[in-house]
Amino acid sequence: MNRKVAVIGVGNSKFGKRDDVTIKELAWESVKEALEDSDLTQKDIDITVIGSTAYRGTEIYPAPPVSEYCGLVGKSPIRVEAACATGSSAAFTAINLIASGLADIVMAIGVDKMTEVDTSTSLAIGGRGGNYYWEFHMYGTTFPTYYALYATRHMALFGTTEEDMALASVKAHKYASLNEKAHFRNKITVEDVLKSRVISWPIKLLDSSPISDGSATVIFASEEKVRELKIDTPIWVKGVGYSSDTSYIAARGEWVGLEAARDAAAKAYKMAKISPLDIEYATVHDCFSIAEIMAYEDLGFVEKGKGAELLREGQTEKDGKVAVNLFGGLKAKGHPLGATGLSMIYEVTKQLREEAGPVQHSFKRYVALTHNVGGTGHYAYVMIFNR
Amino acid sequence: MDGIPLLFKYTVPDKLYEKFWEGLKKGEIYTTKCKKCGTLYYPPRKDCEKCMSSDMEWVKLSNEGILMTYSIVKQKPQGFENYSDYIVGIARNSDGVNLMCWVKGEAKVGKKVRLTTDGQRVICEVIE
Ligand SMILES: [Zn+2]
Repeated sequence: MNRKVAVIGVGNSKFGKRDDVTIKELAWESVKEALEDSDLTQKDIDITVIGSTAYRGTEIYPAPPVSEYCGLVGKSPIRVEAACATGSSAAFTAINLIASGLADIVMAIGVDKMTEVDTSTSLAIGGRGGNYYWEFHMYGTTFPTYYALYATRHMALFGTTEEDMALASVKAHKYASLNEKAHFRNKITVEDVLKSRVISWPIKLLDSSPISDGSATVIFASEEKVRELKIDTPIWVKGVGYSSDTSYIAARGEWVGLEAARDAAAKAYKMAKISPLDIEYATVHDCFSIAEIMAYEDLGFVEKGKGAELLREGQTEKDGKVAVNLFGGLKAKGHPLGATGLSMIYEVTKQLREEAGPVQHSFKRYVALTHNVGGTGHYAYVMIFNR
Repeated sequence: MDGIPLLFKYTVPDKLYEKFWEGLKKGEIYTTKCKKCGTLYYPPRKDCEKCMSSDMEWVKLSNEGILMTYSIVKQKPQGFENYSDYIVGIARNSDGVNLMCWVKGEAKVGKKVRLTTDGQRVICEVIE
């Protein structure tokens, strides 16, 4: 990067079925919090990038109404989208605007109102998250089906079990119970997961992240602005990795990990000049329980096939070797697509500043990572942060 | 309160890959191969992204394969509500091509399958 970039303000709305607000008030919740967190006002913002998938809400062009409601008219010329990695695509765009010198302070707002349509419609939209013409049209794939294809193969090749996958959901709910902004606050057991309704075998209801409404906002600034504003604890962007994969999932040739995530991770580690074992805290894209296991492997925390072991050993718990998703993950914190990637940055910022309350992880080197996947590895963003 | 419904009606090109859709009706699976550089594509394509040629020929795919992975769809999306549970799979045929399919029979990773169609999609039948 030509110029260093830091996170100087973060906000996160309450996630969940938010039928008490429209997308505008929902966005405002995190925008307000991020402005207050950074001690800035709207006039300090040069550009606003809005990330929203929007298809499940009534505002299918949400950027103008959100921008107007949040007092950002004139500052939001772009909306970005990368399916479930939309939030990270907004962060990616914001970071680039600063690194390039085009702007000094950029706000990335991620917001989605996903519960305005019914579940069957939502599944039909998600099922198009690959290749409509060659997949959904003929085979009625749903979004869980795509990840289920990976789960079945992972089970067959490495002996990963449905119980192993259930552990990821149990962990997510345990930590979400401590997060007042989480979609779900209830604890669950392995038995609860195994007994839950089958959606697309081997994926069951409690292996799956919910359909959530929510917003998250991150304010980024250049090094000069960080100094000028005398920011106490800037959180620096040390590495940015991105990649993508085929839309037609069968064409990939192997289905035990996401090549886009591996590629994105390699780029991020290289830029940050660190190795996977330097990461102390990670937010990983656990849209389904198998995705968390594959993420450990794709990020290089363990070799391919050993992800379930790391989970079983409790190494990804608070104060473990690499703590993962201590705010409840997509599974239980919730997964409003546009917000998710920025909510991950909110989370690592809170952790690195040691403002995470009951889920504060103990750091030695203060290095954390976000892993945000769009579609079934159709997009991937891995970002590394330090204090 | 109810929002105003938005009904999308689509028209999808069918002439472009007519040979594929016709093949499905006869239990055969066709795809395209670049005449210039020999790249075999599946799904079929109009254009070769490797050598930039658009001179493609239709070839018939082998019907012998292996089941690589699968999932049993219980909760169906809009448009498939009236189907009973179906199994979406990925099969690799003896040409080395990976195809999405619906699996008939007892699905298991690594099983031999025979590729056919039900007139509308590729079917892979598990060979006992
Ligand atoms: Zn060619």
